[in-house]
Amino acid sequence: MSPTQHDVGPETVVLGIETSCDETAAAVVLGGRDIISSVVSSQIDMHAEFGGVVPEVASRAHLESMNPVVRKALADAAIEPTRVDAVACTVGPGLIGALLVGVSSAKALSLAWNVPFVGVNHLEAHLYAGFLEDELLEFPLVVLLVSGGHTMIVEMRDHGDYSLLGSTIDDAAGEAFDKVARFLDLGYPGGPAIDRAATQGDPDAIRFPRAMMDDGLNFSFSGLKTSVMNHVRRHPDVDSLDVAASFQQAVVDVLVHKTFRAAREVGATGVVLGGGVAANSLLRSEMTAAGRSAGIRVSLPGREMCTDNAAMIGAAGWHRLRTVGASPLDIGAFPSMPLVTSGGHPDE
Amino acid sequence: MIVLAIESATESVGVALAGSDGVLAHATVSRGRRHAETIVPAVEFVCRQADVGLSEIGVIGVDVGPGLFTGMRVGIATAKAFAMACDIPMVAASSLEVLARGEDDATEIVVPVVDARKGEVFWSMYRPTGLDMDALGEPKVGSIEDLVADLMARDQDVRIVGDGARRYEREILDGYRCDVGSAVNPSAIVLAELAYSRGIRDEVVHEREVLPMYIREPDAQINWNTRQVRP
Ligand SMILES: [Zn+2]
Repeated sequence: MSPTQHDVGPETVVLGIETSCDETAAAVVLGGRDIISSVVSSQIDMHAEFGGVVPEVASRAHLESMNPVVRKALADAAIEPTRVDAVACTVGPGLIGALLVGVSSAKALSLAWNVPFVGVNHLEAHLYAGFLEDELLEFPLVVLLVSGGHTMIVEMRDHGDYSLLGSTIDDAAGEAFDKVARFLDLGYPGGPAIDRAATQGDPDAIRFPRAMMDDGLNFSFSGLKTSVMNHVRRHPDVDSLDVAASFQQAVVDVLVHKTFRAAREVGATGVVLGGGVAANSLLRSEMTAAGRSAGIRVSLPGREMCTDNAAMIGAAGWHRLRTVGASPLDIGAFPSMPLVTSGGHPDE
Repeated sequence: MIVLAIESATESVGVALAGSDGVLAHATVSRGRRHAETIVPAVEFVCRQADVGLSEIGVIGVDVGPGLFTGMRVGIATAKAFAMACDIPMVAASSLEVLARGEDDATEIVVPVVDARKGEVFWSMYRPTGLDMDALGEPKVGSIEDLVADLMARDQDVRIVGDGARRYEREILDGYRCDVGSAVNPSAIVLAELAYSRGIRDEVVHEREVLPMYIREPDAQINWNTRQVRP
């Protein structure tokens, strides 16, 4: 049933499925590179009233949206299901109940269509989002992966060959955005809310700490969040737009500084951004500027490719099928799956 | 016509194939709660053992709960995706109905009781008519005291059955004298037989009409200290 590795080529069509958090997504990807269709059903409105993702609400919504999203991805791609050569699905990390909806559906489709099932690591898929939009990327690369759940700098030496150079020791960057936005009453989700507010504030108004700036490649955002809260409590009349802009500047300074230090250290030919926070406009403009002055190519995937989507799952699934092969049908989901490095098998 | 039944609403996972000759093959795993890992390999297994090709399956039967939310969603997602991919209709049954139909020798009122966790149970009542099981009202969720009060209000001979009956047997019997059936989890075999009899009468639905039966609202409490993955 599983094709041998040489069967995987530029004509191989992968249906990607993603349900790790609050987006139900399906996409049809050709040859690991061309996005034929990409459908994302977002639950942001459902979680807004709670100010965060409620796992049970997310799981229920995934089950409701799963088949309609797959149908639409196939219809948008204008292909018959018989043209699908493999089904790739996020198996972790993520919310267990949410992941299991996608994994169950993907395995059933794979059995029914008699094509391989490929379990994909969500973090690895974010690394692949860059390749979907920038054909000129060449290894070695440094990827800054910043989302609500993760903040990491990854060296990508080849397909499936990664090193984790640094990660957050406490809050993820996106988590800090969410918490500060909630504290300042700017709305949910926090990333876009701070981004919007910051355009009207003064980024130099308050000098918030840049934690661990010259101290390795790890991050810490918990202290920054606390100092924002302390500052507002001490200065109740402060303009929250200035607070938002100054906070955002502090986060972006650290992210840009460490990413380029990592790129210089490993001799990267390019820097790629991934994850929901990579949609932040200040981060994007400062990354571009820093790349220009360092002479390093900076690849900024479009906002839809930065946030969770299934095209990146389809692309990562294609590479995995080619290099590692299909996954067994008796695997489940792995809520705290790490980014496995150096060509390892991310299924366990 | 052959039906494939998928049952995962409680701790147990079961799949079964049934046709005009009755049950053709079945597989059940009642411990471990590895629903997602088990179901699809179990489907492959029963099809291989009974020499049934996937293209021969004409109806998918699924238990839509109530039960353990994550487990039942795994079965429903699998069944719906399968029905979509094979373009075949479905039969949806509640876990309570499947449990009740397993007690086909009962003459008293059958009350399936499914553990809802947090000290609560799901239950409903069925009257055996000899040929069928007539549902007496809608499924309910509540405490053991609520269940006992409901039994007292009906005041008839009762047989309780299910994992909730097993777990809270002493508390229930302390409040209301009744028989206890031997089944703990809904049976994929009973579900397959039910799906077959509905299937040949064309009492089937499209995959998009198959909805989970949660009965209880989602717990919306957020633990902000738990790191959650957001884009
Ligand atoms: Zn993500």
